[in-house]
Amino acid sequence: MLLTPEIVPGLVAAGASARVAASVAPRFRVGDRVIVRNLNPTTHTRLPRYVRGRFGVIEKDYGVFAFPDTHAHGLGEKPQHCYSVRFTARELWGPAASERDTLLADLFDDYMDPA
Amino acid sequence: MPTHAKEADPALRVKVLESILTEKGLIDPKALDALVDTFEHKIGPRNGARVVAKAWVDPAYRQRLLTDGTAAIKELGYSGLQGEDMVVLENTDEVHNMVVCTLCSCYPWPTLGLPPVWYKSAPYRARVVADPRGVLAEFGVTIPETTEVRVWDTTAELRYLVLPKRPEGTDGLSEEQLAALVTRDSMIGVGVLAAAA
Repeated sequence: MLLTPEIVPGLVAAGASARVAASVAPRFRVGDRVIVRNLNPTTHTRLPRYVRGRFGVIEKDYGVFAFPDTHAHGLGEKPQHCYSVRFTARELWGPAASERDTLLADLFDDYMDPA
Repeated sequence: MPTHAKEADPALRVKVLESILTEKGLIDPKALDALVDTFEHKIGPRNGARVVAKAWVDPAYRQRLLTDGTAAIKELGYSGLQGEDMVVLENTDEVHNMVVCTLCSCYPWPTLGLPPVWYKSAPYRARVVADPRGVLAEFGVTIPETTEVRVWDTTAELRYLVLPKRPEGTDGLSEEQLAALVTRDSMIGVGVLAAAA
């Protein structure tokens, strides 16, 4: 499809959600403790390096989305749940970090294991 | 080693990409002009400021905003590209929220427009996750030790807007006057709003 000036306003207004209207069972529930898989793909991923191998807690289930690691390469949407996952600053950065502060990252089912 | 495009001047890279996309018949360059014009002149942080001001004066709207950010923001007419799935984070005395995208530059376009250069810079993205209070200090912001600093890394499809605390001394102001007080940085979480003089 050719991107023309005429379709720009509609494109901007509508956007393109990556949500997928598929019924997929979540692998985790709010409150579950998880460990992030130590994945190091050379291809596209939305898993930041600094949370790999770290323990977190599922804060919120955002629903089902296309999985970027496959979708970006034309390997299918592989729909799965995406969660807000909470980490303590100390879990990520060690004892010198604030004991009160936290970080939340949005992570897919395939990035995590139960802990 | 060959010179990769990433090492070249960004303006040159953009020009090359535009030429290739045009030659391949994927874009009409005028469409890019229309996109740039939209985000430079029509969509920007004043949209987000209206959302914030309404939440301050309308408790029912605030509740809807925190429950379903996408729908509540759309009530004011702001939706679409890079705002498809919105989450609103309320700053309180207990929690100070701030937003980053460590992987690239994800940002809520319909409410804040395009991200500032520093938001896209490697130093902000790398440092804010490991030392949020240090980064806040560079923005002139000190959050009490008794308040939790909560950093949200925009790693997937959700886009985050911070609902800053309403400044003290603003009880008599109209929604419009309140909106004028709301800064872009306060809606990213790297700014706080000073009490009205």
